[in-house]
Amino acid sequence: MSSATSKKSSGMTMATRRRLDTALRLLVALIFIAYALFPVVFVIGTSLNPSGSLQMAQIIPRNPTLDNYRSLLTSQTNPFLRWMANSLLVSTVTAILTVALCALAAYSFSRFRFKSRKRLLQGLLLSQVFPNILAIVAVFLMLQQIGRYFPMFGLNTLGGLILVYLGGAIGFNTWLMKGFFDTVPRDLDESAMLDGASPWQTFTTIILPLVRPVLAVIFMLSFIGTYSDYLMARVLLSSNQQYTVAVGLSLFIGQQFGQRWGEFAAGAVLAAIPTMILFYISQSQLQGGLTSGAVKG
Amino acid sequence: MYRRNWSIVIALLVVASMLLAACGGGAEPTPVPAATEAPAAAAPTEAPAAEAPTEAPAAEEPTVAPTEPPAAEEPTMAPTEAPAAGAACPAGSPTLTIWADKERNAALLTIQDQVLAETGVCLDLQEVGFGDIRSNVSLAAPAGEGPDIFVGANDWLGELAANGVPAEMDLGAKAADFDPVSLQAFTFDGKLLGLPYAVENVAFVCNSDLVPTPPTTYDELKTMAQEMQDAGTVQQFFGLMAGDPYHQEPINTAFGGYIFGQTETGYDACDVGLDSQGAIDYLTWIDGMVKDGLLSADVTWDTAHTLFDTGDAACMITGPWAIQRFQDAGINFSIGAVPGQAQPGSPFVGVQGFMVNAFSDDRVLAQSFLTDYIATQPVMEALYETGDRPPAYLPARGVMDETATAFAAVTESGHPMPNIVAMSAVWSSWGDAIVTVFQQSATPEQAAATAAQQVRAAAGCE
Amino acid sequence: MAVPTAEGTGGRKASRFSQDGSVLGLLVKVLGLSAIVGLLTYTGWRLLGDGAYAFAAAFFITALFFTLVFVRKSTVPLRWIMPGLVFLILFQLYPIFFTVYTAFTNYSTGRNVEKPAAIAAIERLTYVPEGSPAWGWTPLQADDGSAAVWIIDPADGAAYLAVPDEDLVPAAEVNGLQLDANGAPASMDGFTVLPNNQRFLFVSANQGVTFGDEERGVQVTSSTEARQTRQRYVYDPELDAMIDQRDGTIFVSQMGIFTAEDGSTLAPGYPVWVGVENFTSIITNPAIRGPFFTIFIWTFIWAFFSVLETFILGLLLALNMNSPNIPFQRILRVLLIVPYAIPAFITVKVWVGLLNPVLGVIGSAWNPGWFTDPFWAKIGILMVNLWLGYPYMFLIITGALQSIPGDIYEAARVDGAGPFYQFRRLTLPLLMVSIGPLLIGSFAFNFNNFAIIDLYNSGGPPIPGSATPAGYTDILISYTYRIAFGGARGNDYGLAAAISIIIFAIVATVTILNFRFTGQLEEVSENV
Repeated sequence: MSSATSKKSSGMTMATRRRLDTALRLLVALIFIAYALFPVVFVIGTSLNPSGSLQMAQIIPRNPTLDNYRSLLTSQTNPFLRWMANSLLVSTVTAILTVALCALAAYSFSRFRFKSRKRLLQGLLLSQVFPNILAIVAVFLMLQQIGRYFPMFGLNTLGGLILVYLGGAIGFNTWLMKGFFDTVPRDLDESAMLDGASPWQTFTTIILPLVRPVLAVIFMLSFIGTYSDYLMARVLLSSNQQYTVAVGLSLFIGQQFGQRWGEFAAGAVLAAIPTMILFYISQSQLQGGLTSGAVKG
Repeated sequence: MYRRNWSIVIALLVVASMLLAACGGGAEPTPVPAATEAPAAAAPTEAPAAEAPTEAPAAEEPTVAPTEPPAAEEPTMAPTEAPAAGAACPAGSPTLTIWADKERNAALLTIQDQVLAETGVCLDLQEVGFGDIRSNVSLAAPAGEGPDIFVGANDWLGELAANGVPAEMDLGAKAADFDPVSLQAFTFDGKLLGLPYAVENVAFVCNSDLVPTPPTTYDELKTMAQEMQDAGTVQQFFGLMAGDPYHQEPINTAFGGYIFGQTETGYDACDVGLDSQGAIDYLTWIDGMVKDGLLSADVTWDTAHTLFDTGDAACMITGPWAIQRFQDAGINFSIGAVPGQAQPGSPFVGVQGFMVNAFSDDRVLAQSFLTDYIATQPVMEALYETGDRPPAYLPARGVMDETATAFAAVTESGHPMPNIVAMSAVWSSWGDAIVTVFQQSATPEQAAATAAQQVRAAAGCE
Repeated sequence: MAVPTAEGTGGRKASRFSQDGSVLGLLVKVLGLSAIVGLLTYTGWRLLGDGAYAFAAAFFITALFFTLVFVRKSTVPLRWIMPGLVFLILFQLYPIFFTVYTAFTNYSTGRNVEKPAAIAAIERLTYVPEGSPAWGWTPLQADDGSAAVWIIDPADGAAYLAVPDEDLVPAAEVNGLQLDANGAPASMDGFTVLPNNQRFLFVSANQGVTFGDEERGVQVTSSTEARQTRQRYVYDPELDAMIDQRDGTIFVSQMGIFTAEDGSTLAPGYPVWVGVENFTSIITNPAIRGPFFTIFIWTFIWAFFSVLETFILGLLLALNMNSPNIPFQRILRVLLIVPYAIPAFITVKVWVGLLNPVLGVIGSAWNPGWFTDPFWAKIGILMVNLWLGYPYMFLIITGALQSIPGDIYEAARVDGAGPFYQFRRLTLPLLMVSIGPLLIGSFAFNFNNFAIIDLYNSGGPPIPGSATPAGYTDILISYTYRIAFGGARGNDYGLAAAISIIIFAIVATVTILNFRFTGQLEEVSENV
């Protein structure tokens, strides 16, 4: 790794060494970016391919065209933009609530010691490893019932979908967050407590600012996880207007033969953009975080 | 500052989703006119509005029903069904919810306005992936969340009928207008369970420039393949994908193989023909082709079609769905009967049709809609135009182009795809058997024996 | 409790933290609590009314739990967890209970509705008595707004006025009857003849309505036809059987399906309790035991290497990108997570295409048998999973690196520790605190990662001669999925549920063993 390499060049000045280190890091990054983007290039190629088949042989198809994008965005029957909107809405709400609920739970697990703590934590994780083949059936019947009393959380509603995603997101993410909370030195909140802060105040004023990078990561994970799910959404949503983008796109390749990969790929490319923008913006949250806080503490 | 960043991110997301929703709303003008125009256009002639002037004194009383789902006890003139949430149906009009895939949806869209204007019934068209319809309908229908009408294939019937999903269909006098094979395919346990609209089957497609006269037997095919591959004219003469029982059924039947034995009322799940002599002969032929380098385990569906696109394969067994790409690639090709051997090759005939959900409260209305509006020439023709499959409705066959006519000619030599539940075991076991022969990891006899034993075990026949 | 609670420390010391044990705070708490508990109880109550007992119980238990936690002082820490737990119980645990329950039933294709629904569905089936005519009909509306029909027998032209629950009125006895040129009524006293374009609306509004008396009444069966339809089957609760009204055949409920003596059955059926039958069939069925061991081993290898490879690459990249000096750091990071942003089912298909031996860029240049060779197919699928999975690890490790206090490193540097030492002794252990449980989760996820196995090669290449269809890249879940859902008897949910419980037992064992490992790590962190 690059850090190890910098050791060899101990004869150089600090500045040279740093420059070399950076250059090496950049090189590694570029190599793996090439690796990451290699198949994606073919996805883009497919999206430009007029024939609608997967583009595999060469990167740029023979007669590249934007037809797939055009037909996707102007389709009468497939409101692609509406799907994007649904996805953004569902994913944003789910991600915000997941972060909030998990942060609360993780704080408790990390900072309090109570009787059933260990068992509860283990149960939380075990509930996540259950191979729930029938979950969709159970959830379907459940939402159908709920929908009778609360129509906005029934089947074929985004509200219902959000509830289901929340149920699935809490377990792992609480674990993950608790792990991060554990790395925050305990004396920080203990000294706040001695200053007379309530646990709630400690949580909001001491812990949360320190774990901001983690909150950003969980937000991202939960957002992307929700955004790309289609197994659950495909069964729970049944109308065109309510589809999320993943479900809507899966229609294009839902046929055994004659799948329309062109429009599908175009949709996949467009659908990836919000995720990437989101990650770009939220990186500001990844900076600093604990280091600056720790100095203050 | 950080907090502000966060709120910006979230605000952006929310605004973006709202903007998109707004655009999305504008981008699908089709359902909207139905909502805005229809009531106005319909008002003079249609029921809800027409009632008021004529029945003025009594108009109050019968309008009790909207929330009462069965409406069975008390006859009433009031529409019984609340419009589906989010659908572009005029308030108060009875709604038929239809699950259809993209192509069928497009065809149904052409009559949506007409049906509303003529009958006051609103079609709530929902596009669902074809395969998803099968899995979702069994779950949704009994729960009361299913569509009134859905599109499906005849080989789903075993599963759907066991779940009591499709309602028995009565085509009345119109039955005579349908291709008998298609009606037979939609008959399960002696009951007609669907209204067929299209038949589909594979045929033998050859590149006319490379093969002016297609082979008529598999021996002939092999000889031709040997010659042309030796000469380097083609990369692989016969573009046959490794595996997939569907495309290879005509080869299997040509050698005398069969899948399930037939009884008077249907199929015998325990009479498994996968290890019959004919089936073994077929696998042996494949085995020989692979050994001679004329077929390859590396060829997938995509590969086979791409080879044909580029003139690197001369003949293949494929269906109407592949024709467009061959035309786009500028290939001259012939479509004809699949070669025979011990007997003529017989492809599976898949039939697609509309089914009525037996759990729907609007079964009778759904059935009436199907017989009065779908079983008509214009709609069947529209279904043909968007789907490119030969219509099951004979009067609509006149509009078929050359390709569809050629495929329809092969339909006669075909047999309906078995619609019993045991068929699902065949797809995986028989598919694996064919693959192992292609990969040379089992002899034809072993592969056939394994598959037959697996299917019998799965069906509990031992 | 190790850490003092608000009650313990409140007001002990004047400080920069204000105390909010105020009346207002209490009020908000009480109101919020009662709102949530009220909502849960209300929903539970409604569910109870609808007969969804198990589901209602889930709501009541949640409500009770919620109340207890917020009323009792000793459960203060749980209050923080409760909001998330509500969702977890309802949408994660309830499906698990549902699955466990299902494992003891024969829920399957043909038995997929509850008994009352099955009976209702069968009771809706009708028949037309032999010899009864197919009537033509005309919609009528009585002056009081109720509906009636005019029916005519196309064979002999006999026509009647049919009003629900009344005897059929022969045409001759109808007052003020005017017929049009086609013989259809144009007007009559007390009724309005509705125009033809209202037939569909009429059908819709009058489904199941019998016009006329019980004996001769008709129902509209299409937009033009009315038939003397009769209910075909009636449920007899004493016999627990359906009786065919046409010929008296008795269909007795057998294992959830109404079956006649000659073996004919009625659809749909309903699931019944079968005890441990599903479990014993797993153990005794040679088809299931067949290639089980091979698949079992591969599942472990698959899950383990999937975690390992993605973790290593994710860690490498996260460390690599963690230097503040890298130009365009944010853009580069975005590009590195691209595989995560595009739906897997297209990228896996693209990889499959790239590895295609004839057409693919990689496969045509180098093909050791990416889909046909048992060993190389496994390598191929691990390779694809590496590409799919590393961005997840990269993201998390990037976050985790940020929360490692910088001063630790400074101290280490002062002590003269080299970068490698720093990584091994400081970064890695601290990372493992936060990442450890995640690795377990990732293991469990891949253990059950059905989608990629199916997309790559559907479990292939097939294992020749196995007792049940199985492939070399099949993992337990994909293999059993095929048994439960691809079998000749349709979808066997009961069996699937039983299998998933067994898989759960395996994964849970592995997970619990791992807890020891993470338990140790947790203590490390407490010393920080």
